[in-house]
Amino acid sequence: MTPLRGACNAARRSLVYRRATSASRHFASLHAGPANQSSVNPDEIAHFSKLSQAWWDERGEFGLLHKMNPVRIQFIRQKMLEMRREDGLDDVNMARPLDDMDVLDVGCGGGLLCESLARLGGRTLGIDASASNIAIASLHASADPGLTSTRKGNHTLTYEHTSVEDLLAQRGPKSFDVVCSMEVIEHVDNPAAFLTNCATLVKPGGHLFLSTIARTPLSYALTILAAEHILRLVTPGTHTHSKYINPDELTDFFLRLDSDPASQSAVADPPEVRRPWISRLYGSVPARTEAEMRGIIYLPWKGEWMLVPRGAAGASAWAEACNYLFWVRRPFE
Amino acid sequence: MATSVPQQSDIVIVGGGPAGLALASALSSQPAIRDTLRVVLVEASDLSKVRNWNDGPSTFSNRVSSITNASQAFLQEIGVWAHVDEGRTCPIEEMQVWDGVSDARITFSTQDDHASFLPDASPQSQMARLTENLNLQRALLRHLDSNRTVELVDNVKVQSIVREEREGGGWPLVHLSDGRVLRARLLVGADGFNSPVRAYAGIESYGWAYNTTAIVATLFHKPRTSFQAQNTIAYQRFLPTGPIAFLPLSPTASSLVWSTKPHLAKALLSSDPAVLTSMINAAFRLPEVSLRYLHQQILDSVSNGALISSQQLREEISWRGRSHHIDPRSAYSLTADTEGVPPEDADALPPVVTSIQPGSAAFFPLRFSHADDYIGDGAGARTVLVGDAAHTIHPLAGQGLNMGLGDVESLFNCIHKAVTNGGDIGSRTALLPYARERYFENHKIMSACDKLHKLYSSTSEPVVWARSVGVEVLNELDSVKAAIMLNAGSRSSRTPPSGRQIGANFAADAVESIARSVAGVSTLTTGVAGLVGEGLQRVLQTVANSQRR
Repeated sequence: MTPLRGACNAARRSLVYRRATSASRHFASLHAGPANQSSVNPDEIAHFSKLSQAWWDERGEFGLLHKMNPVRIQFIRQKMLEMRREDGLDDVNMARPLDDMDVLDVGCGGGLLCESLARLGGRTLGIDASASNIAIASLHASADPGLTSTRKGNHTLTYEHTSVEDLLAQRGPKSFDVVCSMEVIEHVDNPAAFLTNCATLVKPGGHLFLSTIARTPLSYALTILAAEHILRLVTPGTHTHSKYINPDELTDFFLRLDSDPASQSAVADPPEVRRPWISRLYGSVPARTEAEMRGIIYLPWKGEWMLVPRGAAGASAWAEACNYLFWVRRPFE
Repeated sequence: MATSVPQQSDIVIVGGGPAGLALASALSSQPAIRDTLRVVLVEASDLSKVRNWNDGPSTFSNRVSSITNASQAFLQEIGVWAHVDEGRTCPIEEMQVWDGVSDARITFSTQDDHASFLPDASPQSQMARLTENLNLQRALLRHLDSNRTVELVDNVKVQSIVREEREGGGWPLVHLSDGRVLRARLLVGADGFNSPVRAYAGIESYGWAYNTTAIVATLFHKPRTSFQAQNTIAYQRFLPTGPIAFLPLSPTASSLVWSTKPHLAKALLSSDPAVLTSMINAAFRLPEVSLRYLHQQILDSVSNGALISSQQLREEISWRGRSHHIDPRSAYSLTADTEGVPPEDADALPPVVTSIQPGSAAFFPLRFSHADDYIGDGAGARTVLVGDAAHTIHPLAGQGLNMGLGDVESLFNCIHKAVTNGGDIGSRTALLPYARERYFENHKIMSACDKLHKLYSSTSEPVVWARSVGVEVLNELDSVKAAIMLNAGSRSSRTPPSGRQIGANFAADAVESIARSVAGVSTLTTGVAGLVGEGLQRVLQTVANSQRR
């Protein structure tokens, strides 16, 4: 699993929000709160711009990220189809489950996820804090007539060099049916603010997809000890283990996040009036219609990532071990 | 003309042979692909000849393949098999293979497939089905004509393939002889041994020509009597000059594939057809020493310009039969009266060939070649090879076409998966599982066949001794048997896993994959190294380095 960290780390830098100055800060202390921080670090952006040419080199630094992409999409696809059935919509387009939806990818990097989201039918917007990432992503998409034209259906793909805070200010809340942010929050300076902003952009009944790394001894061994200090695949200091986020911490955040994150008064509302994103847990697991997490593991002998199947023996242990995907749905109003 | 605007295409298949047509058919059978991808197939020759192929019921094309059950199941799944004229095909229920020197014989039949005793397996009634290549190609075309989603461009040559100039990597531009230019998201080379797509992709191919030629022909013979099994047994005898195979097509017709030395093949084909007929019968029956003598007679007669007459040859053969004390009542005797009750050992040999279908005898050189990779990279990105463009193989196990169909099925699954997950089907990430799945699989079959060929053509004394004793032979035959029965899929195991099995499959899959990767590392030094997981490689390197210290 180790080499993948190398690729993903560089990828994660794509979304470089200012690094924590204090490594001791803990996500567990996270509270839903005001979200007006803009936190883009110019040094990191410059560093990343040098790497941006490599985004689409599938055998290069980002090779393992390319391989991770199908698994992310697989999860998004499964979840979207499942929820459409849940909502009683029979006219599900299996080939294009994001048809006619507004989709946002926060921290899009070279556009790996965005292109796939657009192919599944979403009107996709990718944003990134690095201008050169946006340039590379736009250049790559321009080669593909399926992404730039509106020949079949109406899917389009656009990119914008901006931050999630600025986008929220520009577009206003409830703008997207689907918001994705992959391998980002463990690099964000203020994850609570970041998550609140992402959540605010989601339309009621819309979906938020995240992926990140759990804070476990295993993830320390693989992503920091092995990848950074032993194999030197990644510059030491790239990761901060204390910033990794455990699944139950995310669950906990959305147990407390109000259905309308933008409304400040909600925090003060009496408990019987509040409607959080996750209403309750069933033996530490949220209802499958509200939130779900799935582990993903790299199988080096196959050279592929795998989405740990639901109900597989120890599935939750896998999710909690290292890399995982997280989905949560904003309640309808 | 030169500056015509490129037409956007998602998949451009170059080559309208069985592999190219099968890929087009598979893609057109899948709604998710049909609705999202534009597929074009380019073929240099006139496909209407195949489309209108209509041989009478008693004549057969000389190019045949034994379609394994796995291949047949795939063709059924994509809706092609229904278009095959099954009346022209023949099930193979048993195979008899024996050594030309020691006569060590091995028989395999459907009963040998131990896997069929598994609870979920249904018994197989056939090992494979012998099918004319034209019958299959016509079925593929009929299938494509019926759903009309793939654009078939025939009578048009690929003039050149160039890479589009574009920052960050251009797509292949395929220039056609009709002036069109196709811009391909994915360019598929199904264009045979001298693949232009492979040349464009810059993929090297290693291999060699065997000093061997295959003679093919359609053979006529009397039907088996009611005392015998039907004509459903395939026969193959390994002679030092190469194997000779008899493959049943109908009660009175069978197909020949005879691998032998090029000069002998040439001499045989320039002789009277009756001479070839007699030599085929002799090749299955006479001891090797006599065959060598007869071959020399044929060669001498051709070089002297005094062709041997069929009458002379028949007399020579019957004299040799008598001098070897072949029992005239045995099936090995060529003088025996063929009427009435058949000899006891009749099933051990193919029926006596009475004539050769006029115009059906032909020969072609044999070669072994395997591309270094199945996927183009760098300047050759967005290319993939299938079938003979990726590998050509000695036909002794009849696996060439089946390997091509295996490639097609695997590539089709990759494309389907990539489309489902919004992937770019031309990307290395989307195609890599195909190369991983097929490269080692094909390599195994090719190596087994190559090894077998080398073993039997060796004149080194210890090898001949070992062979004549039969020990080595049986070992090797077992490996062919395994190759034919298991790898090449005489059994089709296509039951989709049930939901609750997925967890267990995951574990089993992991173990199997580890075993395969480790085997790959230890047995293959080049070629597949890049296919083994980068992660595993690094781990192995780290371990190796730490051990060295």
